[in-house]
Amino acid sequence: MRTILALLLVLAVAPAAAQDDPFGSPMWEVLRGEYFGTAPVVFDGRVAVTAPASAENVFAVPVAVDARGLEGVREIVLLADLNPFPLVLRFRPDAAAPFVATRIKVQQATAVRGAALTADGVWHVGGALVDAAGGGCAAPAQAYAEKDWAQHVGEVQARAWAPGPAGTTRVRLRIRHPQDTGLVAGIPAYFIEELALTGDDGRVLGRLQTGEPVAENPVFTLELHPGATRAVRLRGRDNQAGEIDATIPLPWVGREG
Amino acid sequence: MKRLISTFALAAGLAVWAAAAVAGPVSNDDILKDATSTGDVLSYGLGPQGQRFSPLAKLTPETVAKLVPAWSFSFGGEKQRGQEAQPLVHDGVMYVTGSYSRLFAVDARTGQKKWQYDHRLPEGIMPCCDVVNRGAAIHGNKVYFTTLDARLVALDKDTGKVVWNKKLADYQAGYSNTAAPLVVEGKVITGNSGGEFGIVGMVEARDAETGELVWQRPMVEGHMGTLNGKESTMTGKLNASWPGDLWKTGGGATWLGGTYDPETRTLFFGTGNPAPWNSHLRPGDNLYTSSTVALNPDTGEIKWHYQTTPHDGWDFDGVNEFVSFDLKKDGQTIKAGAKADRNGFFYVIDRTNGKLLNAAPFVSKITWAKEIDLKTGRPVYIDDNRPADPSGAEKGKPVFAAPAFLGAKNWMPMAYSPQTELFYVPANEWGMDIWNEPITYKKGAAYLGAGFTIKPLYNDYIGALRAMDPKTGKIVWEYKNPAPLWGGVLTTAGNLVFTGTPEGFLKAFDAKTGKEVWKFQTGSGVVGCPITWEMDGEQYVAVASGWGGAVPLWGGDVAKLVKDINQGGSLWVFKLPKA
Repeated sequence: MRTILALLLVLAVAPAAAQDDPFGSPMWEVLRGEYFGTAPVVFDGRVAVTAPASAENVFAVPVAVDARGLEGVREIVLLADLNPFPLVLRFRPDAAAPFVATRIKVQQATAVRGAALTADGVWHVGGALVDAAGGGCAAPAQAYAEKDWAQHVGEVQARAWAPGPAGTTRVRLRIRHPQDTGLVAGIPAYFIEELALTGDDGRVLGRLQTGEPVAENPVFTLELHPGATRAVRLRGRDNQAGEIDATIPLPWVGREG
Repeated sequence: MKRLISTFALAAGLAVWAAAAVAGPVSNDDILKDATSTGDVLSYGLGPQGQRFSPLAKLTPETVAKLVPAWSFSFGGEKQRGQEAQPLVHDGVMYVTGSYSRLFAVDARTGQKKWQYDHRLPEGIMPCCDVVNRGAAIHGNKVYFTTLDARLVALDKDTGKVVWNKKLADYQAGYSNTAAPLVVEGKVITGNSGGEFGIVGMVEARDAETGELVWQRPMVEGHMGTLNGKESTMTGKLNASWPGDLWKTGGGATWLGGTYDPETRTLFFGTGNPAPWNSHLRPGDNLYTSSTVALNPDTGEIKWHYQTTPHDGWDFDGVNEFVSFDLKKDGQTIKAGAKADRNGFFYVIDRTNGKLLNAAPFVSKITWAKEIDLKTGRPVYIDDNRPADPSGAEKGKPVFAAPAFLGAKNWMPMAYSPQTELFYVPANEWGMDIWNEPITYKKGAAYLGAGFTIKPLYNDYIGALRAMDPKTGKIVWEYKNPAPLWGGVLTTAGNLVFTGTPEGFLKAFDAKTGKEVWKFQTGSGVVGCPITWEMDGEQYVAVASGWGGAVPLWGGDVAKLVKDINQGGSLWVFKLPKA
């Protein structure tokens, strides 16, 4: 028995000893094992997480993860430690800057983390603490006050901006969806699981896997490298195989001069 | 939690792991052999012909007395409405649907839930007759079921993850789906519901892998079918049996799904009543409503039809299941099929050509027709007993009619035993006052043009489980039940017949004599379809329990009789104790 206890202690302590969680979150060691396995993890200020210190609306807390300070980012993971579903999203910036912004539900005051995987297999983690009144994941969507939500589910509003000094094309999109977590009695889980942005040549620009904590009527902001493509196609599906399909024109492409 | 571990990186690895850990796919051959394979239940009807006969014989009128529950599973939630499903069993997993478009996968040995899918239903669905579902279909690695918002959903049978989800029709126009789909040679075949809203009955085939539409066959004359994305042929001939534009909203919903006969490679779909109910608005036979329609499974072309109630005026849907069987008569074996119709007659039909072989009443009182003329195949109407034309008046002269619009037999499927050569028909004895009213079509609104109140015929019973001899049309035995019967029937080579009652019992009867030999109180009304299968050398019986369906909603005086039955929502599984 003593041996087992000692072993557990070693397991629990060893990684923490390497680098303490700057947010002192009780869930960190569990989440670390769950989402990063045995891969090396470093806390790194070059992954900037922007979020309000105190959430005004626990159903839609704006969060941005910006890892543009790092080279060769393969994937970004957004976590909210104390949510019943900690994983908010995974983002693969195939032809995009390592930047993603969205709005999330927060169940209670929690650390919100962005983790960026670089080519050397290291996860670079940054974060922010969000103070919040409770319940963001366990209340019905506002959509159910509207009788016609089912006629609009999956509709997309989007805008793209011509490239700025950084050379990326900013795209912001909003998808009509109730994003039910399944924690409300009598309302089945119903949320977007996958989104992919491609150019009109079929080139993949970015891919998102999204979970229950993404806010109702999700909004995403991305910084794309669309190249010569004249339109970005957004395709996706929710957990009930509902389809999302929209085209976002880039009217300035190929029209200069 | 694990499910969201990076599938970008691990997708390939996970797939390999998954393939090693789970059961094999279900082939077309497995489905065709379902009636004789005892270790599984892979189709609604225990075989595509729909005989609901199992060759299992460990349970007999003697041994069944010891049958006890092995486990019970709750459908949970507050959504305890009618549970009309027939479960499926494959490789130790049971797949059962529940009210409000839910699908459960349960370990068949222990009753432990593997996964659950709750379909997110929109506001404004319009199911006429309770929020039921009658079961799933299985093929390859997928299970399929239809939903109250008129969608067909395919899920991975091992994980419950939705593979695809296809819109079948517009629920806002009154369409919905409640029947179990049918899988035939890699196609998922579905019907539709919504006959009370002026919809048009349709049979559709989709690719079982992708969900892409292969063909559509409307069930009302004048509408065009499709095949591979192009118009194929018109159903019937425009205006041949419909006046004016009424065919456009002509009804004929195929709401109970269909059966399939591999020997003749034919689909059989029943069609609902013509719309509106007021028959004076639509003189003519109103093809192909209130019929059994035989279809080519490759193209959806109509091979033949047999109309049980031409020019229906009583809501005598013709949807009831057409069960293929070998009729052994005068030393011959005829490829026949049988149907116990809402209208009170039990029909035996040559399934190769649709010719009527026999038609006999299976209830005590039929007011609308004197008999079925065996030469012409048509009913001999009693004209005075058709609800009168209301034209000019607010309400036409009422008539008393039997059977009632809920039918001498409704959706609940009968069973056929090739061993006793008898059909076991869950019948109801009731009548109604019915009168016509003026009506015009409005999208998404009830399209009836009739009023009605349903009444029992006898003080002591409404339900009657009847053993019918298809050779003679005679009733061999009957079991009378106080409340209307609303559950499916199962028969076995062990000389047993199983069915449920609204009073809450699953009952077993001696298939030859009708003697009740076992019963078990499930705690709520049983309106589901019992199944049996063999696992680890033991014979199991399962049924869903949970009172509901059309009777408490539409039952008039009868609804009062059943108002004290409590709701429920559970699955019961039985076996003999180990010696």
